[in-house]
Amino acid sequence: MRYFISTNRVLIIFGLLTLLLLPVSMDDAFAEITANAKHDHITINSFYHGTTVTISGFSNPRDADLIIKLTSPDGLQSLRKKGKVASFLWMNTGELKIENVPNVYFLYSTRKIEDILSREEMDKYVIGYPALVKHATINVSAGEEKTKWFNEFIKFKESSKLFDTSVGKISTTKKDRKQDYSILTEWPYQAPPGNYTAAVYAVKDKKVIETAAVNVFVEQVGLVKSFADMAKNNAALYGLISIGVALGAGFGVGMVFRKSGGAH
Amino acid sequence: MYLYLPVALTSINIFLPVGLGLIVGMLSGLFGVGGGFLMTPLLIMLGIPSTVAAATDSNQIVAASTSGTYAHWKVGNVDFKMGIYLLIGGFSGGLIGVEAMKVLRAMGNADFVIKITYVLMLGIVGTYMFLESLSSMRKKKSEEVKGEKESKISAFLKSLPLQTHFEKSGITHSVLVPIFLGAVVGILAAIMGVGGGFVMVPIMFYVLKMPMHVIVGTSLFQILFTCIEVTFLQSYTNHTVDFTLAVLLLLGSTIGAQIGAVFGRKLKGEQLKVLLAIIVLAVTVKIIFELTLTPSLLLSQAGGH
Repeated sequence: MRYFISTNRVLIIFGLLTLLLLPVSMDDAFAEITANAKHDHITINSFYHGTTVTISGFSNPRDADLIIKLTSPDGLQSLRKKGKVASFLWMNTGELKIENVPNVYFLYSTRKIEDILSREEMDKYVIGYPALVKHATINVSAGEEKTKWFNEFIKFKESSKLFDTSVGKISTTKKDRKQDYSILTEWPYQAPPGNYTAAVYAVKDKKVIETAAVNVFVEQVGLVKSFADMAKNNAALYGLISIGVALGAGFGVGMVFRKSGGAH
Repeated sequence: MYLYLPVALTSINIFLPVGLGLIVGMLSGLFGVGGGFLMTPLLIMLGIPSTVAAATDSNQIVAASTSGTYAHWKVGNVDFKMGIYLLIGGFSGGLIGVEAMKVLRAMGNADFVIKITYVLMLGIVGTYMFLESLSSMRKKKSEEVKGEKESKISAFLKSLPLQTHFEKSGITHSVLVPIFLGAVVGILAAIMGVGGGFVMVPIMFYVLKMPMHVIVGTSLFQILFTCIEVTFLQSYTNHTVDFTLAVLLLLGSTIGAQIGAVFGRKLKGEQLKVLLAIIVLAVTVKIIFELTLTPSLLLSQAGGH
């Protein structure tokens, strides 16, 4: 009996101590992050010239750094390589195939990625170009050759506006224990239709403590969709219409010039 | 004002392709070339994927060459008979060329051989045309000396069977001659991946002895059919023809071809030849630069020829 009472006491004391310590450790133990996208359904019509997407939410704890990664699903990228032939002529020298790599990859962070996240965490969540290289499979020999061609790949993607990394574009406002964050991203018209994911990472002590994600869907509509579908699914008719319109336009303009006397 | 291109998957300021079409259409109507040498790289510069640029260019050439052929036909400058024989040759040559390309690729280093041959050929044709037309502009008397030299080739051509008279061009040849030459150009066009205008025009002038003004119209007539075939194949097999872009380009190029044809009639045959020679040489220099200068990007979109 005596033994039973002392156990209860121990439990009560332990419970009280836990309650006392709770506010101190709550910040880390109950990390929280949300993500919403304003304009998460982008429609491409004939006059589409890119758009903007706002990603916002809040994070708890308020002092966490934030990383936002906007990507398309991983897939295969096939590109033509240029190299020197006969030591002075630049020509196509083969195909570069990269697997497990997204077509679109945008990375935004509150501070420089290397300063806020450990190498292991970067690799785990595929954050940053070095992590992307490790994640991808490339059809060249490992080492210098792989680094060289992956760097060329990034250069090519950045020039096509499909890859980008930037620091400091995420705006944050501290509120009580939380911080509200928001970023207005320029959505390039070069990004093709498809499903995209915006993953938001709350980072503290070089570790990801919480993640949230939101989807962005891009699709073609109206005439754009009709033409794109026809080009793929009804290629023969599409080809014949293209030729017919070109012939008609050629003759039409010829007739107009003849009538207006432009040809004489 | 921007328009989204459904196949190229990019957006473009509509004034750029219309303006580009106008300039290339003028060259087409003036010299009887397709203009792909200028159009395709410029479209790539505007952000169009290379495969879509090449395929869509052939679609707009259909319009520009129809417009140009029409303009030249109105003033009687298209030799349809010659054009059809060249086409027969060109079509068979194209088929042979595609097969030859497979063999070359299998042998490896095909691109190297092709590019070097192309540069040499353009360089030689351009230089010869430039010097020849300059000297004939200066003195017309040298024709007698030339006549002696060329009599052997003429005699050989005359000895061939199936001789026929080409009324529009005012010449007599064996039908085998245009078929053979058309095939040579077809093979080259298939291997080089470019239209044959630059090769066809000099061949028509120096080998077939056609008058320069008829050459331009007849070359356009032949290009028209070649590009119809290419457009269909590209849209059917590769799905790379962007109809919206083609319409923007042809808005300019059909009008440009008419303007080119009008200018062409105001120029003498020799002047046309000198100008074409200058363009051929400029293209040669451009390719030499492309081959020797370090490109800013070592990767490009795969696909196409």
